[in-house]
Amino acid sequence: MRHTIFKILFLAMAVGLPFSSATFAQNDSAATEADLIALLQSDAAPADKALACKNLAIHGSANAVPELAKLLPNEQLSSWARIALEAIPDSAADAALRDATQSLQGKLLVGTINSIGVREDAEATDLLAAKLIDEDAEVASAAAVALGHIGSEAAADHLRGALADASPLVQSAIAEGCVLCAEQMWIDGNTDKAIEIYDEIRESELPKQRVIEATRGAILARGDEGIPMLMDLFSSSDKHMFNLALGTAREFPGTNVDKEFAKALADTTPDRAGLILLAMADRSDSVDLPTILAAAKEGPASVRLAAVRALGQVGDASCLPTLLEISLEQDNELRAQAQATLAELPGDAVNAQIVAQLDQASGTIYPLLIDLVGQRRIPAKDSLMKALAHNDAPVRAAALRALGETIDPDGLEVLIGQVIEPRHPGDVEIAQRALKAASIRMPDPNLCAAKLSEALTASDSLPTQIAILQTLGAVGGPKALETVGKAAGSSQDELQDVGSRLLGTWMTADAAPVLLDLSQQAESNKYKVRALRGYLRIARQFVLPEGERAAMCEKALAAATRQQEKELVLQILARYPNAPNLKLAMVAMGDPNLKDQATEVAMTIAQKVGASEADLQALLSQSDLGQIELEILSAQYGAGSQQKDVTALVQKAANDLPLVILSAPSYNDALGGDPVPGTQKQLTIRYKMNGQEGEATFTENAPIFLKKPN
Amino acid sequence: MPKPTSPRVHDRRKFLKKTAAATGAAIVAPTIIPGSALGLNGTVPPSERVIVGGIGIGNRGTYDLGCFLQQDDVQFVAVCDIKKQRRLAIKKMVDGQYQTDKCEMYRDFRELLDRSDIDAVLIATGPNWHATASMYAAKAGKDMYTEKPVTKNIEQSLILADTIRRTGRVFQVGTQRRNLPHFAFACELARTGRLGKLKRVYAHPAGMQAMMSGWLTPEDLPNKEDVDWDMYLGPAAWRPFNKKHLDGFNFEKGGGLVGGGVLEWGSHCVDLCQWAVDDCPPPVEYDPPKDGQLVSRYENGTELIFRETGWIPLGSCPVRFEGEDGWVEAGDSGKMVLSSPELLAGRTVDEIGGYPATFHVRDFLDCVKTRGLPKGNAEAACNAHIACHAANIALHLNRQVKYDHRKHEFIDDAQANRLRSEALREPWRL
Repeated sequence: MRHTIFKILFLAMAVGLPFSSATFAQNDSAATEADLIALLQSDAAPADKALACKNLAIHGSANAVPELAKLLPNEQLSSWARIALEAIPDSAADAALRDATQSLQGKLLVGTINSIGVREDAEATDLLAAKLIDEDAEVASAAAVALGHIGSEAAADHLRGALADASPLVQSAIAEGCVLCAEQMWIDGNTDKAIEIYDEIRESELPKQRVIEATRGAILARGDEGIPMLMDLFSSSDKHMFNLALGTAREFPGTNVDKEFAKALADTTPDRAGLILLAMADRSDSVDLPTILAAAKEGPASVRLAAVRALGQVGDASCLPTLLEISLEQDNELRAQAQATLAELPGDAVNAQIVAQLDQASGTIYPLLIDLVGQRRIPAKDSLMKALAHNDAPVRAAALRALGETIDPDGLEVLIGQVIEPRHPGDVEIAQRALKAASIRMPDPNLCAAKLSEALTASDSLPTQIAILQTLGAVGGPKALETVGKAAGSSQDELQDVGSRLLGTWMTADAAPVLLDLSQQAESNKYKVRALRGYLRIARQFVLPEGERAAMCEKALAAATRQQEKELVLQILARYPNAPNLKLAMVAMGDPNLKDQATEVAMTIAQKVGASEADLQALLSQSDLGQIELEILSAQYGAGSQQKDVTALVQKAANDLPLVILSAPSYNDALGGDPVPGTQKQLTIRYKMNGQEGEATFTENAPIFLKKPN
Repeated sequence: MPKPTSPRVHDRRKFLKKTAAATGAAIVAPTIIPGSALGLNGTVPPSERVIVGGIGIGNRGTYDLGCFLQQDDVQFVAVCDIKKQRRLAIKKMVDGQYQTDKCEMYRDFRELLDRSDIDAVLIATGPNWHATASMYAAKAGKDMYTEKPVTKNIEQSLILADTIRRTGRVFQVGTQRRNLPHFAFACELARTGRLGKLKRVYAHPAGMQAMMSGWLTPEDLPNKEDVDWDMYLGPAAWRPFNKKHLDGFNFEKGGGLVGGGVLEWGSHCVDLCQWAVDDCPPPVEYDPPKDGQLVSRYENGTELIFRETGWIPLGSCPVRFEGEDGWVEAGDSGKMVLSSPELLAGRTVDEIGGYPATFHVRDFLDCVKTRGLPKGNAEAACNAHIACHAANIALHLNRQVKYDHRKHEFIDDAQANRLRSEALREPWRL
């Protein structure tokens, strides 16, 4: 056991390895602890002792404490020892830390006191209290915060007693400790004492942030009795205190505080009122809605803007008339915010009111209401159809947009009609966008695609046909695929162009046969290549059964006429190493133009799938690499000028094969460690193959395939 | 050991619940509170700007800083970095933006925090410092936007939430996907029951190996002005200087015995899963990884599954939520796939790919002004991080662990409980 652990530790440390998870995964804590203690007692290097401390954080007990305590005065290892001492549950660790405070000084003492604080060691209270007047301000400050973590009444009393006479730097830490104590008392139900401490701190001459923390605590701990204090903050001339009010208002529990915000609004400046309104809206469960609504109706523009925005969070149907009025005002910003709020205002009652107003509406509010129907997706087909016949273009445009957002499958023909036979030519573009918006949300994409396909056939306008094709591409599904495929294979160049582009980005794998067919049948070579690349995209990117992907690659290889596409096929094979793809790579080795790449891919796959040496020999016998003599002359692993000689390890792994299979997939693991942690490394091998010298360089962890030297 | 200290007097999550769009409105990038609603008109006067300082502004921080500098109501005034090179680079960037020479430089962030004119800080150090620097900032009265992962263990997560509550500060963790429309919509579908009873939520951890940085061969300590190694180590246990640690990325990622693992990406995608389950307490049961999956369970039986493969190609950081009536999957391409178009219910969802942080930064700045609760608030971050830390502990111990989210401890599991926290190097404390 000991031997094993030491071996792991020394191996890791000696080469400056990152400590891997496996280094720590020991289960027999007692035996492990004994080994680790022995290491600390030995003259091992500091690096080894550091790692032992880390392990003792898991495996250590009271037995380890004495050796760890000896490291506390050690500038290099003190922090490592405290990692273990903070984690060991036994009270012996507390005692050791307390003892150390008697002899340590400076930062080491500060660290030890910090650890006492983390362990909340109440027995250290008096010891820490004595340190509050240490001449080293860092020591005194650490003691103050540690007392705060202990959080007892005794700790608080010591802190409060030291506050007045401390230096400003230490005062801040004492105040921090006091606030921590107050918080603990509040949690423990000792609210009166907590408030007493908070009040003392907030009323003292202390750094602003300490006062802010105490004021927040003083307000919240008081519950409803803290409301007047909160309201006072809203009228504070101090920006920081006003900001504290905004944050504390959001936190304040209960519902009694909400009505009070109206008074704060009335007594403040416009810029502050806007901020108070936003805070009010964040209290969604108990918000005082009438106050926000009133602020939206009249007053300074900036306040109204904040109120209208707040209504988007907390408003309801009662806000609709006001928001509609504001939506028609001259102020662009206010109008836009009101419209955005209207789109979000929750509730079916809001929808009912909008529909009720729609049929009687005229003038500027009419298109506004129609847009709201669309934005809120209110079913109101009859009203929208009526609007579609309106003389005013803005009304018709709004109706088209709303139909696009709301129409059901039965009504899709309405939009199709607007696209292929527009009554007003100027409406076509909006109608096309509306048709697309409607189509992509249809519950049955095939039914939708069938209707669009009919429309495509019925139209004799090329721009319309293109628009419909693009809509079909967005809809997807088998029917859309069929129609787009036909367009791509049509005799019209523009349709071929759009169709092949859409197929090339199709989101389902059933486009593959269509693309393959197009890659062979298209009249233009440009579209053939585009289609084949689209086909390869599916083979490369989509989740497919192994056999299916290999079959696709095989077909692509047969269909490809250019070297570029053939090489893309090989890249796909290498990306998915499995038996079918290995077989196909071996077939590709028979192509003289692909032999080198295919052989490399086959070797890579063979290695990844765990082929035996015999398998590889059999594989190589199919190439002219089958019979080789390989000698490794040298091997260097590293980055830049930092190289490590790994010749012996590579020689050991090499055989009379062009593929060198290391003992582990990771170069770092196989080649004795990481020579340059955190940096991408390379392995460079000089070798002799069948008497000819060659050199090859491999990116970290790449398969090592040595080519025949030229 | 870990315990919540600060009383939760009011459920602040309700603020955010209420803002979920319940009607047919389109899902767009978060609306920004107009300046005029805050009493501002036209250009923002200096007195109304949020004065910001930056701590540890490396690669990611530079991107975040760019998002801050885009905002008219931000005045960036100071940078702190332990590397002189970074201090100078950021000063040049900021001064170039403002055409001034006023961006102050600091090596010790406490000096920056002592400035009373600074309202908020951007903390984009390595993860080693995120929680500790945030705690110091909160206690110094600053609001903060802190990069993720923000905590190194369970205890830090709890203390962070308590400290932010106690100090009354505004905290936003850099989980910017909470402010992107398609992720927000996907989470809303799950949260509001539109998918039916939620069965499983999936997160992509992008790596499940726990590790920590080592003790590398000592090298000559650089000049403190150039690289302040002691400050760089900060709360991490001592080790000798070695420049390989300085990339910041691999140094104490996630922390001590257990760290890294699912945390790096989990702090994004588990965070989204947590949003999908309405930011409820973290799962209570975590199985060891098996076949590339680590399964955990919430108290109500919903599973949170860390899964490496099997994703629809929608870009990095994918999440998937499955209910009894439907599912949704979304990723960083800005796109999502739904089990049925009916789930859209006619609504349109803006596709914003590339996970920009602009909206998240804006959300933070608005909350600095209104004192509202940002989307990536400390309590939400606390729960998501605890889920990741607990999963890492199951990964590390290679066995099931059970977590009691009320007591904040593992049940009858001394080993797991000892992994909840880790001592900070002197003189740092939380």
